[in-house]
Amino acid sequence: MYLVSRRDGAGDEAGWFPYVLMAPALITLVVVALVPFLYTAYLSLHEMQYARVGNWAGFANYARLLTNARFWHSVGISAAFIAVAVPLEFGLGLLGALVLNQGVRCRSIIVPVLFVPSMMAPIVVAILWKIMLAGSWGLLSYNLLERFGILTGLSIFASPALALLALILIDVWQWTPFVMLALFAGLQSLPLMPYRAAAVDGATPLQTFRRLTLPLLAPLMAVIVLLRLIDAFKIFDTIFLLTAGGPGQATESLSLFTYKTVFDFWDLGTATATAVVIWVMFFLFSNAFYQVVKRKLRAF
Amino acid sequence: MTTREMTGRVMLGLLMSLTATAPAAAWSYKEAAKPYAGQSITVLDEITPLQETMKTLVPDFVKETGIKVDYQLLNHFEVISKGQADMLSGRGAYDAVMVHSPQMGIVLQADVIRPIDDLLANKTLTNPELDLKDVIQPAWDSVAKFRGKTYGLLDWNYNVVYWARNDVLSHPDEKAAFKKRYNYDLAPAKTLQQMRDIAEFFTRKKGEKLGGETLESDFYGVVLEGIKGGTTFWTLWNAFIKNFGGDIFDRDGKPTIDRPENVAGVKLWAELWKFAPPGQAEYSLIDVPTVMGNGIAAQTLAWSDFVLGIDQPGKSKYAGKFVYAGSPANAKSPRTRSAETEPSIIVISKQSKRAEPTYLFLQWMVDKTTQKRFFETSKGAGVPIRESTWKQPELQQSRFAGLYEAMRDTLAHGRAKPKAPKIFEIMDVMSGIVQEIALGKKTAEQGLKEGQEKVMAICSKCTL
Repeated sequence: MYLVSRRDGAGDEAGWFPYVLMAPALITLVVVALVPFLYTAYLSLHEMQYARVGNWAGFANYARLLTNARFWHSVGISAAFIAVAVPLEFGLGLLGALVLNQGVRCRSIIVPVLFVPSMMAPIVVAILWKIMLAGSWGLLSYNLLERFGILTGLSIFASPALALLALILIDVWQWTPFVMLALFAGLQSLPLMPYRAAAVDGATPLQTFRRLTLPLLAPLMAVIVLLRLIDAFKIFDTIFLLTAGGPGQATESLSLFTYKTVFDFWDLGTATATAVVIWVMFFLFSNAFYQVVKRKLRAF
Repeated sequence: MTTREMTGRVMLGLLMSLTATAPAAAWSYKEAAKPYAGQSITVLDEITPLQETMKTLVPDFVKETGIKVDYQLLNHFEVISKGQADMLSGRGAYDAVMVHSPQMGIVLQADVIRPIDDLLANKTLTNPELDLKDVIQPAWDSVAKFRGKTYGLLDWNYNVVYWARNDVLSHPDEKAAFKKRYNYDLAPAKTLQQMRDIAEFFTRKKGEKLGGETLESDFYGVVLEGIKGGTTFWTLWNAFIKNFGGDIFDRDGKPTIDRPENVAGVKLWAELWKFAPPGQAEYSLIDVPTVMGNGIAAQTLAWSDFVLGIDQPGKSKYAGKFVYAGSPANAKSPRTRSAETEPSIIVISKQSKRAEPTYLFLQWMVDKTTQKRFFETSKGAGVPIRESTWKQPELQQSRFAGLYEAMRDTLAHGRAKPKAPKIFEIMDVMSGIVQEIALGKKTAEQGLKEGQEKVMAICSKCTL
């Protein structure tokens, strides 16, 4: 109402009111997000004596980080994790959502069950999958795979070739149902009129999906993909609990690298530089993602 | 000498002895704590069953002294992330924090912990019957003393013991077959070479016989901690490499990762993996006792405080069927005997403004009376920090008497880790490399050469 008045040029005295309404959220955001980030950036430009701020170091911490092979290795692990896990979660989630949307039987039972994996605490997920895939006694690895002569005499989490794939599988298991439910909710909320019109025009199911469903769902899809990308990039708990980054450094993600740099090595200079680099990477990525989605999918 | 003279001497002697004993008899925590009664101290310790038992005794100290103690117990990682961080940042939320020996390099270099020599010398504060000569060595000296200063009293004395299935090792059929194959008697391993033979001998497939019974699943000759991180490399270093006369630093603190003795130690350790469950590379120090408790392995090297949790009726169907010994020596070099131990102390933060009451509490924790009560309360389950504790009835008459003998043997040959500020970074690099050696991805020579290069990149003089 105030905004309407302002447009009419008759309510200038109330122009501050929307900002008052937004102020609590903005102040909270600044205090809990921006201030710590700025302080981290400040620390990253200083020599750190364990947890104490030393002299101005310029970009020395960044130079040390960017020439650290282990940092780039962990970037590669995180990228590989995202590149495989997120498309799989999205593809399977979309497929599942389309099936659910067809009015399958027992949907009222299936939907609540689908919530379970994404509601589980990471420690529970780790224990569950350790029971499933542990070498020499895992429910799946020993009783199924090994007994049928597949993957004999090795441990999945201890195999440099399989450990990362196993962690991706766990992520897919945990988050595909979430993607499925979110997309299913989106499908349920789509307007019926365009579909009726398409049916009258004789559109095939594939044409309807390509020309109607995908464009209408695009904004929701973009948000889901972005959320999953961010979440997959942050993967830490299950890796920490199941492989601790091993064998060797085969599953050391960027989050785990940062954790070790802080809490094992107490190299806060490198750790704060890593945090800033991650932030910049995310900022650039999110911006690029936003622009692409906005232009190509006309979302947002 | 006249009767009068004699009476006089006797009286004088009595007077002197009374004078001499009077201050000792008068000393009490209550009196010593009077100036600090009502003050509050915050102490952070690690949570294990040992500390949980200690926590039940803390109210006695509070009642006696009037010093309020917030004795916080957090898991291992939180003790480091909260406690060590608190000291390193100079925040000072904790008056005292438990540190494992590898952390000492960091906290000493950062100069955030307070020496306690002045407090130990303070006759008002220190119990004259504290009897520090009774504290187990070399554990205490190696962890708490540095450049002539003492930084704490020995609080916890974690150690790795040899742990085996007595029911299979003492089975007549197995003994006979072992003697025939290896030409010596089957018994708990005293040497690493015997451990290897036992591991090879008992590695069997499902359907084969073990102790006269048909196996329903594969059985393994040995299980060791193998996960990246944890204490995998600590144990390899101290229970294998050092037994071969090797070490990862020389006397000047320079890395010596690829020396031939180290290669020999790593080779034997990696050879044991052939007889271990395929999942060993994911086994943590918690998984190892679980595997032993499940009965799928013949022997291991494990932390003794975890053994106490498994060898219990209701926890494992093999409870009471285990046998223990000190960490094995190297048959070819018995003089270089070494074992993995982790002596730990609670240090007083330099930021603490209540060092004296904190010291009183830490002293009380290691006091003979408290230690006696600790083992009475725990019904003989614990890890001694005093020599006198070995003689306590709760230990001698305990069904864990054999385990205590094993602990004692191990503790005689274990030392704290060197005070190296970058030790966790070194361990992280090395635990990944040795895991790859054990999994056959690298030879011991290749891996340790790579380790030498990587550790040299971290520090060329690694110890303080």
